[in-house]
Amino acid sequence: MSLGRYCIKFGGESGQGINTLGILLSRAIKNLGYNIFAYREYPSLIKGGVASYQIDFSDQYIASSSETCNILAILDSEAVHEYLMSLNSRGIMLYDDKEVTFSPEEQQFINQNQIQTIYLDTTKIAVESGGTAIMANTVMIGFLWRLLGFNAELLLTEIKGTFESKGEEIINHNILCLNAGYNASEFKEEYSQKTYIPNPDESVKESKILTGNDAIALGAISAGARAYYGYPMTPATSIFKYLGNTYKETGILIKQAESEITAIQMAMGSMAMGTRALTATSGGGFDLMQETISCAGITETPLVVVLAQRIGAGTGVPTWTGSSDIHTAVKAGHGEFPKAVLCVSDLQSGYILTQQAFNIADIYQIPVIILTEKQIAESLFTIKTLPQPFPIQRSFGDGSDRYQLSQSGISPRWLPNFDKQPYLNNSDEHNQKGQSTEKMEEIKQMSDKRMQKIQTLLNVLPEPIIYGDSSANTVIVGCGNTKNPVLDAIRTGMKVAYLHYEYLYPTKTQTLTNLVATGKRIILVENNQTGELGKLLTEASGYQFQEKILKYNGQPLFLEDILNIQI
Amino acid sequence: MAIDINTYNSDLKPTWCPGCGNFTIHMALKKALAELDITPSQTYIAFDIGCNGNGADKINTYAFKGLHGRAIPLAAGLHLANRKFTVIADLGDGACFHEGLDHLIHAIKSNYDITILIHNNQNFALTTGQATITTDEDKPMYGLPDSKPERSLEPSEIILSTNPSFYARAYSGDIQQLTELIKVGIQNKGCSIIEVMQLCPTYNEECTPQWFMQRIHKVDDSGRTLEEARKISTITNENINTGIIYRNTNLKTYYELLENRKDTQTELVDEVKQYDIQKLFEQFK
Repeated sequence: MSLGRYCIKFGGESGQGINTLGILLSRAIKNLGYNIFAYREYPSLIKGGVASYQIDFSDQYIASSSETCNILAILDSEAVHEYLMSLNSRGIMLYDDKEVTFSPEEQQFINQNQIQTIYLDTTKIAVESGGTAIMANTVMIGFLWRLLGFNAELLLTEIKGTFESKGEEIINHNILCLNAGYNASEFKEEYSQKTYIPNPDESVKESKILTGNDAIALGAISAGARAYYGYPMTPATSIFKYLGNTYKETGILIKQAESEITAIQMAMGSMAMGTRALTATSGGGFDLMQETISCAGITETPLVVVLAQRIGAGTGVPTWTGSSDIHTAVKAGHGEFPKAVLCVSDLQSGYILTQQAFNIADIYQIPVIILTEKQIAESLFTIKTLPQPFPIQRSFGDGSDRYQLSQSGISPRWLPNFDKQPYLNNSDEHNQKGQSTEKMEEIKQMSDKRMQKIQTLLNVLPEPIIYGDSSANTVIVGCGNTKNPVLDAIRTGMKVAYLHYEYLYPTKTQTLTNLVATGKRIILVENNQTGELGKLLTEASGYQFQEKILKYNGQPLFLEDILNIQI
Repeated sequence: MAIDINTYNSDLKPTWCPGCGNFTIHMALKKALAELDITPSQTYIAFDIGCNGNGADKINTYAFKGLHGRAIPLAAGLHLANRKFTVIADLGDGACFHEGLDHLIHAIKSNYDITILIHNNQNFALTTGQATITTDEDKPMYGLPDSKPERSLEPSEIILSTNPSFYARAYSGDIQQLTELIKVGIQNKGCSIIEVMQLCPTYNEECTPQWFMQRIHKVDDSGRTLEEARKISTITNENINTGIIYRNTNLKTYYELLENRKDTQTELVDEVKQYDIQKLFEQFK
């Protein structure tokens, strides 16, 4: 079956420029007029270990990775063995280590699947062409480009752009290596992949490629976030990178704090003073932040935290993906208090939901958690334009008591101002004036007031969206990255509907309940071990999922994981 | 309207033990604010958890009673959002030197323009008398009938090792000196640390006012080097020096060091609006 897409994987030892050249290739392919989706596999170390950049491309929008590739271009012998079995039938294995010998099992795979193996002495070609041995990787992508049948000029332009800051000598040497790779005598016409490659779409050339974290950062800038407080943790760190690298243009205050606890306390302080501030982290750092999230809950201080998930408890598998912190986000913090949890799935939702998060935080005076995951956070998506920004809503009011009771549960909040009456934000249970209390009646009253905000918010939140053929007999339910392979599968003609949750908590259940009532087959698909979204939906709706597809080996849900579902 | 100490009173009465040093620290803080003509609505105090924190609803200023150990980063976040406010972090020796020691060191390093008021009563009092780094080494404490097994640490050594912008030591029994030191601390451009030796008649009953009076000596603000400051700040059995121990007027504040903010006239709170990201988006390729 033709899926209308093509997949290449460029791999080697971590530290061999895999990421730099992977982005370069992604951009070059996009500039030919293809929608790309590119994802990284890399170890949690700086030098050594197997790393790769996989680029899926198509004439249609795609947002998922394939499990198998058409071409592997591999710079390291360990990576050759690691990735060989992920080739499609009639795929190409391009490698540069003479010492590589294929095991009998590998040889059988090669024969059965008519794999073309091509050995290229990239180091020799690099040196003979006038470059240096370290530019073997550039030789490799030159040859890869030839296999794809693309014009060399375009890749040259990208090389010039990427190495601009490194000086003319480096650029010229890279150009020599690229040309030498492209024109290498090892190439044979029969290797050409042209017939399998979709036709480009001219209009895509104007598109941009961004990571999910870029979109969250842009959403925060757009929403008027004026400070970012962070502590490094994969896969959240690149939000800090983008906001830091643009800080002169945006004027945003950037602070690398001494810990996640500091980062979120500073964010809470700045939000209490009345600006908008963002912090972002991953699971372990989020655990450290939870006490402060609870504090924001009881003090009714707006707070926005990005939780970029990776797989595993403890330190887990730091550079691999999953969505195993949904439960952590929803249940974050001790005690009982209202919060909201939103879940990003792509660039559009990263941009819009971040803006929404600030509005919800400000209006409802609650902590809001934005979930994303490594497969979205660090992957490159193709996009023409971002959606219209969401208008800023903050909802300030005057009053005498900071925690005044109200029907909606929302008390008047006014920003600290020299001309206004001061108030106390109190993390002790308090009365309407904010004074600490141990009176039973006041404890209950204030708890009820706060929790009412969950209902008030739930009333205005949208129901989850149904994608695909609503008459289909099978409905997949998911959130976050589940959407991307499922919608890509639907685009190839798979007959399923997809119920997608963006607003996880508080939880809308009417659409799900209606679907259940139709008697359709419902399948929960998640990138975690226990079906965390499913448990959340069960808690809210009472519906018990009968069928679950759960993947928790660190890899994303691939397109094939969805296409292989028997319907 | 003229402001005085009563301007800062809330309608609640303090709940501290009779003779507690918090009464006078609280009074000196209000007095300092009044004398500097800083109104309740121009003040934001980040209170920690502990006996000091129980003063949060007894003072009529903007305040945030947050989490244990976290008053300093909370105060830093408040301050950076709007530098027009006088921001004070108010915390005890347990919060400052146990739960939140990292925050103290990094706040001094960052040199936020805030004032950190440390109530050093030599124990965790609100949880009924556990040992801190400043508790006497041979003093039996809650759950430690033979005293804490570890040694004590000297707050002044920790603070001075980080080359602070301002470090003063005061005594809760001397309101006048304490008031003056808080005033100078608030006026100092940078991170000002004021360590108050605090009476705790319930859990540190040996250190009576008489005990302190016999040991306290006031020192002048004489422009000491760090070395000189270290020497005079050492607490001995016979001597506790109070006053301005050390100042470094050459340090820039955190905000002054921010390449993209140092010349900005507006505050972060003034800047929340929709920003057009089209230009940034165009920079992607």
